[in-house]
Amino acid sequence: MTGEALGFYCLSAVLVGSALAVVLTKNLFHAVLWLALALTGTAGIFLLLDAEFLAAVQLLLYAGGIVTVVVFAIVVTERLVGERISQTSRHIASGAAVSIVLAGLVVKAIMAGPLTSIRTPMTGDVTALIGETVLTRFVLPFELLALVMLAGLMGAIYFARPED
Amino acid sequence: MPEWLLPVIAPFVVLNAIIGIVTYVTLLERKFAARMQSRIGPYRVGPHGLLQPIADAIKLMMKEDIVPTAADRPVYNLAPIVFLAPCMFIFATIPFAPGLGVADLNIGILFFLAISAMEIVGLFMAGWGSNNKYALLSAMRAVNQVISYDLPFIFSALTPVLLAGSLRLSDIAMAQEGLWFVFYPVLGQLAFVLFIVSTVAAENRAPFDILEAESELVAGFRVEYSGMKFALIQLGEYAHILGASFLGALLFLGAWSGPGPEWLGPVWFLIKAMCVFLLVTWVRWSFVRIRVDQILALSWKALLPMTLLLLLATAFVVVWRHSGVA
Repeated sequence: MTGEALGFYCLSAVLVGSALAVVLTKNLFHAVLWLALALTGTAGIFLLLDAEFLAAVQLLLYAGGIVTVVVFAIVVTERLVGERISQTSRHIASGAAVSIVLAGLVVKAIMAGPLTSIRTPMTGDVTALIGETVLTRFVLPFELLALVMLAGLMGAIYFARPED
Repeated sequence: MPEWLLPVIAPFVVLNAIIGIVTYVTLLERKFAARMQSRIGPYRVGPHGLLQPIADAIKLMMKEDIVPTAADRPVYNLAPIVFLAPCMFIFATIPFAPGLGVADLNIGILFFLAISAMEIVGLFMAGWGSNNKYALLSAMRAVNQVISYDLPFIFSALTPVLLAGSLRLSDIAMAQEGLWFVFYPVLGQLAFVLFIVSTVAAENRAPFDILEAESELVAGFRVEYSGMKFALIQLGEYAHILGASFLGALLFLGAWSGPGPEWLGPVWFLIKAMCVFLLVTWVRWSFVRIRVDQILALSWKALLPMTLLLLLATAFVVVWRHSGVA
């Protein structure tokens, strides 16, 4: 087994374990911490795939940003509701069934195509390439995404505005 | 020396050097603060108080480790480590001289910013795990402040990136051989000032230390910590400031460039980083704490638009100069 494979299996174990813990733990705050670990694990997988830029962005936006916002949401809601909210996982059986079927389908789809075991190493500066493609070939989707975000922001402001 | 040994030795050396510097940076700050207030500062332990940090470290190690009964134990115990790890990781990408660093990534500065933003996870783990009203309040304030000040911090750090045209930290340092970015007309000075302001805020130091706020929150998120765990949190905090100082020296003050032979480079770098650190300390001891809402307003209404505009202006200048040359 190569070092890369070993790293992949270790990271995957962490990733799957922490992702399961996110859904299964009762304590909402612990769930967020597991989520942070899962997102960090994802960044590790990106690193293994030579996608340093993606890994760093993953850490910056998800592990740093999203987790922070979620914590904020939990604490603020708990104060509004006035009691500890705990995770109940009511639909755990149906959820498990759906995810098992989904996993089966994904595995089947991957197995259908031929797998190349040797990955050619990346050459050149991937970061510069990402920047170029985002501003040339994918400029329209990129701008559309910005619009979607703007809409989301406006929606948030609309809901948060004081009643008059 | 075999090739595989280098990745083991380099982090070991850097880590220990950082811990050593951090220990003495606390003394530097105390001396500096004392001088600003017409005091002498630590003087008794060793000549001119030079052994004070070591005495402090020993004292912290000997202290009893107290865990509050109501604490969320695993979270409480893990928090100092989760807090410290990213603060140490940020030094991985900093080149201390040409080719002298642990990992000179091609996305160096992005890695630095991403990892330094991770600090918040450990911080609110500490605040929440302590199960203490003050600690939780402080953690919430920290979350508020970090959300607000990470963006200006990142944007102001991106100005030198645009000027150098690379995310690799050593390239940014090389690009300043002729002209340090702090001397770049108008753009450089503005970016440097904004960088210092957002560093002070992102490091949660006075006048932005609402999450520590001795007079209202006792000591904030670390109020329940004692002994070695307290020491770890303190170490992480100072390591983070030191990292930001090194980053400032690298982005704006030309990193290792300076007169004298080449091997003096790291020394120059350290001196410049200390200057940035003293600048931050100077701000800390000169101003009083600002109110929470004022801090947030300052970030969203002033710093963020300013850094964004500066970034745009820098982009224009870079494009204009490139088209002029070509």
